[in-house]
Amino acid sequence: MPMVIGVVAGAVVASVIILIVLFRLMWRVAEPNEALIISGSKHGDGLGFRIVTGRGTFVLPGMQVVRRLSLDLNEAELDVECVTSQGIPVHVKGVVIFKVGDDSVSIANAARRFLDQQKQMGLRVHNVFAGHLRSIVGGLTVEDMIRDRERLTGETRAASGAEMEKLGLIIDSLQIQEILDPTGYIRNLAAPHAAAVQRDARIAAAAADRAATEAEQEAFARKAEATRNSEIQQASYQAEMDTASARARQAGPLAEAAARQEVVVQETKVAELEARRKEQQLQIDIRKPADAQAYETRTRAEADRDARISSAQAHARETELKAAADASQVKIAAAAEAEATRVRGLAAAEATRATGQAEAAAVEARGLADAEAARALGLANAEGIRARAAALAENQDAVVAQELAEKWPEIVRAAAESFGNVEHMVLLNGADGMGEMFAKALTMGGTGLGLARQLLNTMHEREQHPAQSPADAPAPVVHQVRIEE
Amino acid sequence: MVGLTGRVTGKVGAGLVGEVLVHVPERQGTEAFLAYLAVPGDPLPLGTQVVVVEYQAPRTVFVSPV
Repeated sequence: MPMVIGVVAGAVVASVIILIVLFRLMWRVAEPNEALIISGSKHGDGLGFRIVTGRGTFVLPGMQVVRRLSLDLNEAELDVECVTSQGIPVHVKGVVIFKVGDDSVSIANAARRFLDQQKQMGLRVHNVFAGHLRSIVGGLTVEDMIRDRERLTGETRAASGAEMEKLGLIIDSLQIQEILDPTGYIRNLAAPHAAAVQRDARIAAAAADRAATEAEQEAFARKAEATRNSEIQQASYQAEMDTASARARQAGPLAEAAARQEVVVQETKVAELEARRKEQQLQIDIRKPADAQAYETRTRAEADRDARISSAQAHARETELKAAADASQVKIAAAAEAEATRVRGLAAAEATRATGQAEAAAVEARGLADAEAARALGLANAEGIRARAAALAENQDAVVAQELAEKWPEIVRAAAESFGNVEHMVLLNGADGMGEMFAKALTMGGTGLGLARQLLNTMHEREQHPAQSPADAPAPVVHQVRIEE
Repeated sequence: MVGLTGRVTGKVGAGLVGEVLVHVPERQGTEAFLAYLAVPGDPLPLGTQVVVVEYQAPRTVFVSPV
């Protein structure tokens, strides 16, 4: 029984496996870019084959055949030698991008034509387009081809569209890439414009170059200016940085120097105070004692000097007094001697005076007698003078003479004073001698002596010539005598 | 196909075979079709919105501007 179950189970499993294998063999799936062309069975559309796209389908192995038609994009390079309506050969290059149409009609058309020749599809398309391009380019000029490519493209599409439709293909893109001109027609055609364009391009390039050069030079100038300004600013900043750095570097030494200076100042003050203290100490310790000692010494010296001076003065005084005493003594002695001498002299003088008086008395006696005689004579003369004076009253000189005559006693007295100091006088030659003596005395006497002497001379001449009368007498001559004489 | 709208990608005009791109819902894609003017008139420049007036299988449509 279990064996039967195992066989049954194995048969079931085998059947399942077989079914799966059969399913795998019968079930075909179309990829998105392909169409399954299934032939060998009837189809309702009358196509004779079945087209499946995008899904799976059963295929009876051995009874049906499945072929895959690629719906991928294909490309055909166009390279066609053409001749334009002008007879100019051109070489047209282009590309056609095409594919099999997605509708069943296109797939069926393409399947019938290219199912076994899918790789030659591009060649076929190229041939189609080459023929149409030649015919189209033959009806165009080069200028039309160049200037209106859309027309070329449109006519090409229009001409080939129907044929491509028959082939079951659709044109995704048709591009005329380039039109080559082996004869240089296009180049020559473009030459004037190219030259103009080149000229304009050169002009524009020159202008642009000039503008660019100007802008460049201006930019250089501004760059240089900016560089200069920047360098100036950098230099300024650098200077500021250097200054700040120098200040920063100097800040420490400066502060140290300031602190050191403060220290030095304080030390200096301390030193000054110390010096002042030492000075005061020296004042106290040395100078004051020294001054005191000096003062003591000086005082002592002055005292000694004063003592010596006093001693010397006392000694001098003593000497002086002693000398004075001696001198006084000598003077007294001399005075005594002088007094003795004077007394002796007086005695001698008295003797001499007594002798002289005796002799004078004798002489006086003779003199009186002579004087009496002379008086009488004088009176007579005086009378004569008076008469003359009266006669000459009007004469000033006579007045003066009269005044002089009146002063005569005083003159005689003054003359006599000359004799006051004469201790001993001897008269010689009698009356003449007396007259001469008087004349001399009068000369010595004082003012007007010269006149007196003249008067005396006049008197003396009158005595010698008394016979002359006053009327006959010449006018008295008055001489003015200077006082100094 | 008739009634679908599309856009001119190749100039459509008298004497020309243009091209339009039309979205085909049944194939869930946009396909290119050869296009002719449905009504004679001014040519349709590129980008003009058009509507399919007539369809000729497999790839030809007659369009008119929207």
